[in-house]
Parts: sequence; structure tokens; C-alpha cells
Amino acid sequence: MTNTYRELVVGGVLIAPIVSYAAIALLAFLLLRPLLRFVGFAGWFSNPSLAELSLYVAMFGLLALFL
Amino acid sequence: MPVNAASAAVPRPLVFAGFPASSWAFALRTWLAMMLALYVSFWLELDSPSSSALTVAVLALPTRGQGMEKAGYRLAATVIGVVASIAIAGLFSQTDGLLLAVFGIWIGLCVYVAGMLDGNRAYAAALCCITVALVAIQQIDTPLQVFPTAVARGAAIGIGVLAVALVNEVLAAPNYHPVLTRRLEALHGRVTDLTQAAGPASATAAASLLHDIAALHPEIASLVTESSIGTARTEAARSALVDLVSALSLGRMLTALPATSPDTTGLMAMSRSWLQAEISRKNAQARGCLHALREGKRPHHAWRAPLYRSRRIAAETAARAAISFMLIALFFVLTGWPSTERCLTLVAAIIGLSSISPAPRIFALVAVTAMPIACALAGILKYLVFNGVSEFQLLAIGLAPVVIGLALLISLPNPMLSSLGRLVLVFMIAVLGPTNPQSYDPEVFLVTSLFACLSAVLVFAAQMLLPPLSGDRRVRLLLGEAGRELDHLGRGRTRHLAPEEAAFRDAALIEQILTANGALPLDGQITAKAMRCFDQAETLRRCCAELDRLRQSPLAGAARIAREALARRSGGAILASAEALRQAAARSKLSANSAIAMLIAAHGAFASSQSPSQGARP
Repeated sequence: MTNTYRELVVGGVLIAPIVSYAAIALLAFLLLRPLLRFVGFAGWFSNPSLAELSLYVAMFGLLALFL
Repeated sequence: MPVNAASAAVPRPLVFAGFPASSWAFALRTWLAMMLALYVSFWLELDSPSSSALTVAVLALPTRGQGMEKAGYRLAATVIGVVASIAIAGLFSQTDGLLLAVFGIWIGLCVYVAGMLDGNRAYAAALCCITVALVAIQQIDTPLQVFPTAVARGAAIGIGVLAVALVNEVLAAPNYHPVLTRRLEALHGRVTDLTQAAGPASATAAASLLHDIAALHPEIASLVTESSIGTARTEAARSALVDLVSALSLGRMLTALPATSPDTTGLMAMSRSWLQAEISRKNAQARGCLHALREGKRPHHAWRAPLYRSRRIAAETAARAAISFMLIALFFVLTGWPSTERCLTLVAAIIGLSSISPAPRIFALVAVTAMPIACALAGILKYLVFNGVSEFQLLAIGLAPVVIGLALLISLPNPMLSSLGRLVLVFMIAVLGPTNPQSYDPEVFLVTSLFACLSAVLVFAAQMLLPPLSGDRRVRLLLGEAGRELDHLGRGRTRHLAPEEAAFRDAALIEQILTANGALPLDGQITAKAMRCFDQAETLRRCCAELDRLRQSPLAGAARIAREALARRSGGAILASAEALRQAAARSKLSANSAIAMLIAAHGAFASSQSPSQGARP
């Protein structure tokens, strides 16, 4: 299976799909933050920030794979 | 050296070559992030890989949250700067002198906005000016290259930010909230000591405490970026700051209560007990906020912490920055030297950075010192250490001692040495300009070094010609503004702030007054005057807030008379209105203790202002 990547076009400027995926993943992650706080995500790990980074990378990877 | 049991019990931090282990870890992280940024930039074949290394040098901060917050502002400011560059280059590209004037105006605008903000927000405003310098001024003769340069810079900054974030996350850079919690706890201890002291506290001690509380304001924003509970921690820290200022101002009201006379015994006792209860309540709230900060929970009440900045001072600094830039640009036009756009770019960058430093002249002096050191280091690296090599591994090994050494210098507590370390690191990377393949043209290096040193000297010379606002003038302007605000208080013009939030804003004003003279100690009389303004403004605001609550009650008439007495600022009339309010409350069987207590405090504040020897309390 091969993915067809479509560039984002803003005012005639082509933006690489990976940049838009990174931005979408960041937005989705920021929206997820209140939920993470509500469920006490930071309390489950010894290094919560690294766990959050891993979550972001997982979301970014999934977006790049399936979008 | 005497060693007692307590000091023996505390484990000593690990020290190597005079620097603690945390400083070495920070230096190592900086070097790793810089190499990662450079490697990725070379691999992606970016046009300006040195920008990504520069980004790492700028974002090299000891804790994770601070670096991430600065990174966010750096990205946002780059976007704004790029848009401005395209607009300026598009509209004024063929207009010679007008183009330079527009650059000057943009620099002035950025410096003005930087003067109205604090912390990394001010840095973002300064960076908008630097981005325009690096994108539009550098391409002043080739406006068609503005857009590709902007994209290259944006990509390099993005890589730099990602490298810093990744290295800090993977190597578990320390969090900032434990440091901030310890500092807030120490401040809480000082506030408690000051409010529980038997006699009246000196104005200098109170002003210095207010300065220390307000100085934490720019640092609490970095907690947001630390983790998913960062927003709650920021709110808790902000509310703790506001509660500490409130407790301190109430403590000063308590100690400023006038001596009891036979006629006023009841009123004084009521005021004293109400103020003591209120101070205890505020202290308990501050403790609650500190607990919330430690636990990462939201505080009992989320206060806003508004910032005080003088528009006049910001405007005067901006005008000076714009005129300095235009004078230096005029100098280059008159000399007719080739390729001076690089020099002009550095001039704009130094002007932008000096605008966010508390003492612009000292910053310019540090820049003049740092530039030759950076050029010498870059020259040694280029022609003695690398000397023609092009392998990345050798670049990484060659850069290691310099980058780690300068990062250790940045981690020092002395602000001058720390600032010197950062500037040398940034300028060294800018002069060295790592590229793939590395250029070893001695002529290019010599011209770059010469222009870099010339730009620092020119900014310093422009500051000698057009000196920045002196500390005394800043203090005079700030005191004048504080006095005018006090005059307008309670006479119609009100801001939509709770008295606690307004008190924090006034604490920020005190901080501005105390830092206006740099490291020099302030005259005791000025501090006393500033604190008198602070005390009177807080008492008036709280009085007005308490009297406003009585507006719909049967005590509205007595409250109106009290407001009129407050507007006249007459201690005797305020005392009489408090007594009238007490009698009206007794007749109506209503409680107006808080309003009466605050009226007595206002009587104390204005009675002491009418006898200066009492009010100064040096």
C-alpha cells in the first residue's frame, strides 16, 4: 500500500505534508491536555514530560500513516 | 571553617572543576542539542544551518519549561517578523532612504512593545525586530530573496527548537516548578515575618519584598509548557503572588493604624481585629496556593496578575532605538562601503536585545566586549582547530570545549558573566557560520569579524551620543505616574480590577522603580514616597470596594458621605464618616465592620501622609 501525500497550499505556497501533520498532531495534543490533566496522566510516569512527548510522537506517526 | 550538625546533615552537591553537576549536565545538553540541530540541518541541506545552532544557543536555559516557553515565543515572533519583512520589502523595496526610515520605525515599534511587556513576551517583541533585520535588511539589495530567506530561517529555527525539546525531554532536564515553589515559600516566610513584626516595618524592607514578589511574574508563565498540569500550576503560582502582595499591604495597613484616643478606642479595636483576621485569611490562601502549586491543582481562586508598564518610558526608549538605528544607517550610506547590510543586521539585533535588558548601556558594553572574544574564538576554531576539515564528527569534537565552556559560563549566578557567556556563544556561532561544506575563505572571515566588531562599537557610540533614559528620570516619571493614578482613584475613573489584582499591579510599579537604577541602591526618601503611594492606593481601593457593597443597603447614605470624605483625602473627615457609618449600622442592626475597618485604615494612611516624618519611616 502506498500513501498519496497531498501538499497544503497556502496562497500559492506549497507546504510539505509532514509539516501539516506535525501541526495537526500538536493541535490535537494541546486539545488533549485538559483530559490528561483530568485523568492524572502526570502521576502515572516517573518522567511525565517524556511520556507526553512519546504520546505526541505516537499521534504524529499515526497521522502520517493513516491520513 | 566551623561545621555544625545541621550543615553536616545536608548532602553537598557534587562539584567538578568548580561547577555543580547540574551546570555540567546543562552544558552537555546544550552541546548535544546544538550538534543534533546542526546535523539535521546539514542532512536536510537547509540554506542557513547556523540559524538552527543559534536557536539552540538562544534557548539554552537550565530548566525545561523556560526553554520551551522561549521556543514558543521564538517561533511566534519569527512568523510575525517574516510577515513584516515581506510587507516592508514588498511596499518599500525601491525607496532608498524611506526603506531605512521604515526599518527604523519598525525597530522603534518593536522596542515600544517590548517595553510594555516582560519576560519572554518582551523577548518575542525584540525578536520581531531581529527577524526583520535578518530577513529583510540582509536582503536589502535583493528583495526577491526575502521570501526564500524567510522560509530557510523559519525551517532552521524549527529544527533548533525541536532539537532543544528532544534533548531536554530525553535527558530529563529539571523542571522549574520545584525551584519556583521554594522561592515562593521563602517569600511567604518573609511576608509572614514582616506582617507579624511588632513595630512598623521599614519602607525599604517592604519595597524590597514587593520587588522580589513582582520580579517572579515573568517566570511563572514558563510552568505552562512543563507538563499537562502546567496551566493549573501557573494559576496557583500567580494567585500565590497576588495573595502575598495582599497580605503584605494589609500588614502595612495594620501597622499604620493611628494611636488610640479615648474617642476612637472602639473603632480602632474593630479595625485592628478585622485586619488581623483578614491577614490570617490571606496567609491561609497563600499557603493553599503553594499547596496547589506543589500538587499541580487549581488554586481556590484564580487571580489575574496585571503588569505595570509606563507608556511614556517605553515610548522614549523606542524613539531612541529608532533614531540610533537611523543614525547608524545614515553613517553607512555616507561611507558608501560595500556589503554593510550584514553590519546593519547586527546593529538592529543588538538594539533589539539591549531594549529588553534592564540596563541597555551595560548590555551594549557587554556586547562590545563579547564581540572580539567571539571573533577570536571563531578564528581559532576555524584556522587552528578545524583548519580545512569537513567531517561532522570533527566539527562536533572541535566545538565541544567552546560550547560546553560557554554554557558553563551561562549557568553562573552572576548576571554579567552569564550574559557575556550567552552573547559570546551566539556571536561565535554567527561569525563561525557552520555550513556544509565549511568555507575557509580568510577574506570573508576577516570582513565578517571586522563588521561584527564595528556594529557593536557603533551601537555603543550611538548610545553615547543619545544616552538611554537615566535611572533618576525613570524613577521621577514612575513616581509621577503613581501620584497621578492616586489622585484619580475614587474620583470616578476606575479600572476593572479587584483590589488584590490592583495591589499586584502597584507592586509591579514598585519593582519598576527599584530596578530603574540598575544595581545601585535607591534613595531611602524615594522608596518611602513610593511605598506611601502604594499604601494609600491600596487603602483607597479596598475602602471604595467595601463602600460599594453598601450601595444597595440601608447604609447607602452613610457610605456616600464616606466616599466624599475619601475623595477629599482628609484624615479627619474620613474618621468622622467611619463613626457615622458605625452609628448608622448600629441603628439598622447591620454589620459594616469591613467598611469601617478600611475607613480607619484610610484615616491612618492619610493622617500619616499629612505628617511626613511619620510617613517616611526610614
